[in-house]
Order: sequence, then structure tokens, then C-alpha cells
Amino acid sequence: MSDKQGFMKALKCRECGREVPLTATHVCEFDFGPLEVAYDYELIKKSLTREVICSRPQTMWRYRELLPIAGEPTVGRQVGYTPLVKADRLAKALGIRELWVKNDAVNYPTLSFKDRVVSVALSRSVELGFKTVACASTGNLANSVAANAAAAGLDAYVFIPSDLELGKVVNSLVYGANVISIKGHYDEVNRLCAEIAGKYGWAFVNVNMRPYYAEGSKSMGFEIAEQSGWRVPEHTVVPMASGSLLTKIHKAYQEFTKLGLVPESKWKVHGAQATGCSPISVAQKAGLDFFKPVKPNTIAKSLAIGTPADGFYALKVMKETGGHGDDVSDDEIRDGIRLLAENEGIFAETAGGVTVGVAKKLIASGKIPAGSSAVLCITGNGLKTLEAMTGHVGSTREIRPSLREFEAVMAQDKPELVAR
Amino acid sequence: MAASKKTKPVAKKTALQSSRMWLMYPPKLIKHPVIWELGHKFAVTTNVRQASVTDEIGIVCLELEGPASELTASVKWLKKLGVNVEPVELSTMES
Repeated sequence: MSDKQGFMKALKCRECGREVPLTATHVCEFDFGPLEVAYDYELIKKSLTREVICSRPQTMWRYRELLPIAGEPTVGRQVGYTPLVKADRLAKALGIRELWVKNDAVNYPTLSFKDRVVSVALSRSVELGFKTVACASTGNLANSVAANAAAAGLDAYVFIPSDLELGKVVNSLVYGANVISIKGHYDEVNRLCAEIAGKYGWAFVNVNMRPYYAEGSKSMGFEIAEQSGWRVPEHTVVPMASGSLLTKIHKAYQEFTKLGLVPESKWKVHGAQATGCSPISVAQKAGLDFFKPVKPNTIAKSLAIGTPADGFYALKVMKETGGHGDDVSDDEIRDGIRLLAENEGIFAETAGGVTVGVAKKLIASGKIPAGSSAVLCITGNGLKTLEAMTGHVGSTREIRPSLREFEAVMAQDKPELVAR
Repeated sequence: MAASKKTKPVAKKTALQSSRMWLMYPPKLIKHPVIWELGHKFAVTTNVRQASVTDEIGIVCLELEGPASELTASVKWLKKLGVNVEPVELSTMES
């Protein structure tokens, strides 16, 4: 293992394959294709075994040879290894033999899978000598950058749209981050953030640090395979915003297979979107290998990316693995959240409702066979999107402190108990 | 007395900037020579780095170089024409 680059070899263009040094850069200067981290798998094979992994603490860093840092992690050392829950009641409700829920709603410290990507991006930023980190975000990413930067003593700049709900702003401000709200249409904000990232020389986690940042998502796939008993599940349903998580979970399965950590097998990775922002699933259903940009209009704000940066690659993975894409309406998203909460006691954010809703559709249509086993990826906590469920989960029934009034309520619910 | 030396006034140079973007054309614009027209209307140098054109959509990865005001005007013109313009990073704003 080299001191300067660990088990990484280079950054490699996903389009032309050209390799560039492991710096803070994200597009190939030749064709502007996205850069991805390439590893020395021969070297990793000598170092990473099941025994080594099992001997390490239960965090995402137990797979550190396959994550893009040169030395030991310095930011987010407790992130990951969230529960893989056997969801028997939900399986019955959805009509499938076996179902598992990978629950990143309880990821540390900010209750979403973004803590995985951010801790990798910030650990690498520290290695590259950055003192200031930044991101542009409407929610989970902002919270995670603010929290992890605070814990690491880094200066953080978080850019948000000016119309963001107060609760989400507080979730970043509380950590002492510099929060800049930008007035303007989405595409203007998007272009400004790209300009700022280019001009200020900060570690902009989802721009110039993107090749490292995105690799953090693989840890979710590694954990799923290990927690499934060192095998890749037949079916994995993944929510899609940029499409990056889906491609990285597939890459994680490929890497574990290549290293002999899991046996060779066939797996399918399915992608879930909200109908109000479904460029990737619409393209998949139409059999296209490109997507058309859309203007998002959905309660699943965390998936609302109309021009998904990894959409093309997500389509490719679904095609290669035989996976399917589908999408669900806002009402179906709320139903999905309720199904997961009422059957498994897990309160997911709207993206979780999308995943459950799409899994339900894929099972009903036979695209995920009823006799098979599937893993659903839940990426964020429902406490972050309470507004989506407000007014849709029933209401309390108020009584005075009187047994008679309580029994009047019980008479409606369980009259047999009152009659005793 | 020596005659004072006349100096030719130096034209004030405008700093050039470059911008990298994805253009996505709807089907109605696929036959339209958008990039040719852009290069004639504005003081910008155009350089196509990637392109894919089908019956359904035209996608072009373009590098533009020119004065900042011309770059801004170019993007405004492209959007008015109906072309979707995104930075090469596509979405920088995530959840």
C-alpha cells in the first residue's frame, strides 16, 4: 500500500478510459466524461479477506481498502454498518417469500445514507490538504456536510435554495456551517454552484470531490452482501436521484465477487423513482439508453433531480443485470411509508416510500418473482420529511380524564373489551 | 527638443472565460444548426467534446470560450431557443 494513494491507482474517465492523477477533479479534460476511482485489485486481494473484515469495528470503514482514501479515515469514523432487517411482515404485505430492509434511516450521525459519501469525501479532502468543504443541497447532504465538518474541525459552506423549509435550514445551521441561500431558478442555482466550485478551490463534495464522494455509496452494497451471509441478494431495489447509488451498489457487488469475498452469482438491481421526477425509470421502461430531462414535481424532494448525472450509467446497470425501473405517485409514496412503518416499525423519509412503492409494483407485476428474496434500500429518516405525511396518518382522539369517555372510544374500536 | 514619442493606444483586453456545458435539444431543434448560429451571433469559440443525436433528443457536450458577458448572453439565447443548458457536472444541487 502506497502512503500517497493507498489502494487507489488513478482517476479514470468513464467514457474514454484515460487516467489522471488522484487530485480534486471530477471531469476528464479530453471529453468531459465523469471520472471514477480505479483501484489496484491485486494488491487489495492480498490484504482484504472475510477474516480481516470481521476483525474490524462494525462501521463502513471495515472495507477501507475498497474506499478511496490513502491512509486511515479521519472524518466520520463511526458511520455505517446499519441494520439489515428481516422484514417478514412487510414481505407478507407485498406478497414475496423473503424481504430485507437495509435501514440507513438510522445511519450515524445525521440519519441518512449521505453520511457514507460525506465521510469519504471529507476524509479524502483532509488528505488532499483542504481546510474548507462545501456542498449544494436541499436537505440530507447539507446536514451531513455540516455535521461531519463540525466534528472534523473543517470550515463548511452550504448552498441552499432560498425557498427551503426552515426546519431543514436549522439542521445545517446548528452545526455552525456557513449557510448561503440562493434566490433563483434551479438551473441558475446549479450553474452558480458549478462556478463557485471551479473558482474557490474548496473541496466541493459533490463537484470536484465527486469521484471520491460517490465511492462512499459502495459501502451500503458491501454491508448488504456481508449481512446477507456473504452473498449478493437476488434482487436489490434502490431509490434513484442522480442514479449514483444504484451504480455504486452494483459496483460493490462486482468488487466483492472479483475479490472472492462472495461466490459468483447473478443479481438484479432495480431502480425506483417518483412519478413526478422519473427521467430514469421512464427511459428504462421505454427501453432507451438515454433519459430526457424533466422539471421535478413530487413530494420526494430528496430524489427530485431532473437531469440525473448518473442516469445514463444507472440505465446501463439495470440493462446489464436484467433489473427494472419503475415509479410511483405521491399517494403511493405515502402508502409505501405507511406500509414500512406499520409492518416493520421503520419510519422512512419519502425516498423510502418510493422504494417500498416501486418494490410493491415490481412484485405485483412479477418482475421480482413472488418466490424470490429482495433487499430494499432505505436511505433516510422520516423525521426529516414530516410535512409529507402531515394530514395523511389519521389524527388523535382527545378525551377528558374520564374512564367513561375512554370507554366511549373503546366501544368503537374494541366493543368486546368494554362489554366485559 | 526631441519630439515626444507617439505611442499607439493599446486596446483594452477583455479577459476570456470558458464554460463547459451539456446542451439537450428537443426533437424540433435537432435539424437546427444551433452551434453554428451561436458562433455567429456571439463572440464565443465553440468546441464540441461529445455528442449524441437521435430522433428523440440531441445531446451535446460543449466548451464555450469568450468574454463573461458573451457567455451569459449565449446561455440566455440557447435557453430562449428551447435548449436545456446544464453545467457539465449536471446536478450540483442534491438532496
